Amino acid sequence: MNLLNLSIKRKLILMTMLTSSIALLLSWASFLIYDLISFRSLLTQDLSTQAEIIGYNSAAAMAFRDQTAATATLSALTAKGDIVGAVLYGPNGKMFAHYFRGEETLPELQPTCSQKKSYRFQGQYLEVCHDVTLNGDRVGTLFLMSDMRQWSMRAQRYAKICFVFALMSAFLAFLVSSKLQKLISGPIMHLEDTMKMVSANKNYEVRAVKSYSDEIGSLMDGFNAMLSDIQQRDTALRGANEELQTRTQELEEEITQRRQAQEELLKAKHVAEEASRAKSTFLANMSHELRTPLNAIIGYSEMLEEEARGSENSGNIQDLQKIQAAGKHLLSLINDVLDLSKIEAGKMTLHLETFDVTGMIEEIVATLQPAVEKNRNTLHVRLADQVGMMRADITKVRQILFNLLSNACKFTDHGSISVDVDRRLEDGRDWIRFEVVDTGIGIGAKQKENLFKEFAQADTSISRKYGGTGLGLAISYRFVQLMKGRIAVQSEPGQGATFRVDLPAQVRIETPDSAPAEGTSEVPSPAGAVKTDRDTILVIDDDAAVRDLMSRFLTKLDFNVFAAGSGEEGLRLARQVHPGIITLDVVMPDRDGWSVLNQLKAEPELSEIPVIMVTIVDNQGLGLELGASHYLVKPVDRERLAALVEKHRNMHSSAPQTVRIPVSMSPDGKHVGPIGAEIVRRR
Amino acid sequence: MVAILAMLTASAAPDARSQDTSASSEYLIKAGFIYNFANLVQWPAATFPQPDSPIVIAILGQDHFGTTLDRVLQGKKVNGRPFLIKRLKSVPELLKSVAELKEYQILFISSSEMPRLAEAIQIVKGIPVLTIGETPGFAKNGGMINLILEDNRVRFEVNVEAAKEADLNISSRLLALARIVPQAPADGRKAE
Repeated sequence: MNLLNLSIKRKLILMTMLTSSIALLLSWASFLIYDLISFRSLLTQDLSTQAEIIGYNSAAAMAFRDQTAATATLSALTAKGDIVGAVLYGPNGKMFAHYFRGEETLPELQPTCSQKKSYRFQGQYLEVCHDVTLNGDRVGTLFLMSDMRQWSMRAQRYAKICFVFALMSAFLAFLVSSKLQKLISGPIMHLEDTMKMVSANKNYEVRAVKSYSDEIGSLMDGFNAMLSDIQQRDTALRGANEELQTRTQELEEEITQRRQAQEELLKAKHVAEEASRAKSTFLANMSHELRTPLNAIIGYSEMLEEEARGSENSGNIQDLQKIQAAGKHLLSLINDVLDLSKIEAGKMTLHLETFDVTGMIEEIVATLQPAVEKNRNTLHVRLADQVGMMRADITKVRQILFNLLSNACKFTDHGSISVDVDRRLEDGRDWIRFEVVDTGIGIGAKQKENLFKEFAQADTSISRKYGGTGLGLAISYRFVQLMKGRIAVQSEPGQGATFRVDLPAQVRIETPDSAPAEGTSEVPSPAGAVKTDRDTILVIDDDAAVRDLMSRFLTKLDFNVFAAGSGEEGLRLARQVHPGIITLDVVMPDRDGWSVLNQLKAEPELSEIPVIMVTIVDNQGLGLELGASHYLVKPVDRERLAALVEKHRNMHSSAPQTVRIPVSMSPDGKHVGPIGAEIVRRR
Repeated sequence: MVAILAMLTASAAPDARSQDTSASSEYLIKAGFIYNFANLVQWPAATFPQPDSPIVIAILGQDHFGTTLDRVLQGKKVNGRPFLIKRLKSVPELLKSVAELKEYQILFISSSEMPRLAEAIQIVKGIPVLTIGETPGFAKNGGMINLILEDNRVRFEVNVEAAKEADLNISSRLLALARIVPQAPADGRKAE
């Protein structure tokens, strides 16, 4: 394992040395073996010859039985160092003469020579048997034994020489292979160095230097080609990376710019929304502020007109009527602007109640009668039998129809106007359709486009000729949308116009707290629980003009009127007189109407008295929630007020009436007379 | 052959003086020696008429061998030549057969003929015949090989000059075992 992990250099050296050593050893071994074998046969031959000579020399002695001579002959072997011993046997096999080197004895040699002439190797000894003959007659046998000393010495010498030569040749082989291995390992190591340099520094400009055109040379060529390939790709990659970075930076800058722009836009949007809200709030406030003095103007002009009719000073009547008309026009304008600003501020809410459509239509028709007659038009109302009840915001439905009909009256002269009401099923839902058709001047295609947009009356000249703000249709359109209905127009110039409104018979409010705010949450008051005067009305309002007007109007309706200028006074009076009905203003100094209402509902003796909110604040929901029976917005529609108070009086007509005062004094001492004129509120 | 020599060696070891056995064993050894001499001496080629001509051994004088020599040499051959044994009673008989002398290769002169040794030697002088004796002073007085008893062992003396004169070539191996005896002066020989 470790050998395999050696460096190429070491491996090459090792291989060379191993190969050369093996070759050398093999050749040496073969030479030595051959040499030793031949040397041994030489020795054998030599010994045989020696035996022959000695045999020859001792033959005569043997023949003549001359033991001394034979021994003398054998002693000549002293010169031969390697002969251990020699024995001459007689023909009968008995030892005749012998010679032993030194003190040695060879007892084991005794019975050896069985064959006539032979040699054999016995251990490290070579034994030779030789027949001694004299002229062909065998006279004895000679036995010679050699320890092959020469041979073993020679072998030892060879081993030494071999060892020395092996060392020398290994050293030489090491030297030579160390030099030669560089031919192969040199380029490879250079390649390795280059590779390390490339991988360590990621420097692809480095190239391996080719030394020879062998396999390693072509390997280097391939390596270099690969390097230049990688270098190209690296360069391309780096370029692409830089481009990517530049692009990314550009993108980031763009994103930053856009974000800034977006923030600016958001700011601008906030500013704009703020401005819009401020505008709407301002408009709403202004409308309230404008309406308060108008209340007085219209109210008092009506009162004056009434009084004028009673006297002979009838010349002022027409002037008073003009003041009234102008006031009402201004009021309608203000109301429109207020509605629109509410819509835009998103504060317009629906107050759903269930009502009879027929009744509502009749009410509108009655209200509109003067307008119809003004241009000598005729009005036809067609009601389908199954129209019945619908659930919607009655004030808004009323306003939509009022707008459409007053427009029809306005643009039609000596013509006919018709209202068709029908109930139909469409898409599995119950719809009520109102269709207002006139035979008036009609609407051009171009005007139709802007018909439902704010402040876009068909023509500015129309405004001058027919009057109006041009907000009526826009507001109607918004109301229809609010109730998830549809409004459409069909018209040709000079051919009259047809407005069609489709409203769901059951309008739904799509807000989480769709608490059904019943417009008329009639609280049945158990009669006789508390002693109240059904003909007594308590008016609570901080505005003296309102108190005056209300007192006069209600007195005309045969009510016993008490008036209070503040919430505290109102509560005190209520506890005193236990009125049948209370009208309550909201915006008052010290204690506002909500607080007074709460207090009234909290006191058991007063909680049963129906409270009609009469206020500029348009928050019907809160009022009804706190326990108010009705909610009227100033300027008060006298007819509605009259209808409401009459309803409550009749409801309790069976109740015993305690006091009935035809005329009463208002708290400020002024006489309150009957109010003849009526405030027409268009909503 | 081996068996014979073994027998000789075995019988030669004990007392050589005992009359019967020692005498017979002594001559048994001597017979072996004669055979060995025949092996180690080279005669001139002309000595033998044919390649398979026998080596003739003549025993001069009293024959102590008896049948021993015949027994020992029975069937033996040296260089393809068998042995033939002749017996001569005395020197004069030798003289008679002088014509046949050239056919003799070995002449064993018994101690009984010692007094007439010089004469005998004179007779064979110049003829390639190996003379073997068993009497002290034999070799010194012109004999070639003399067998002697020494410490109960049979040994031999060789007169190299005499052999050379007779044109016989004695192997050095034989000489290495022998006691070389010089030729006595001529007057000395005459005096004997």
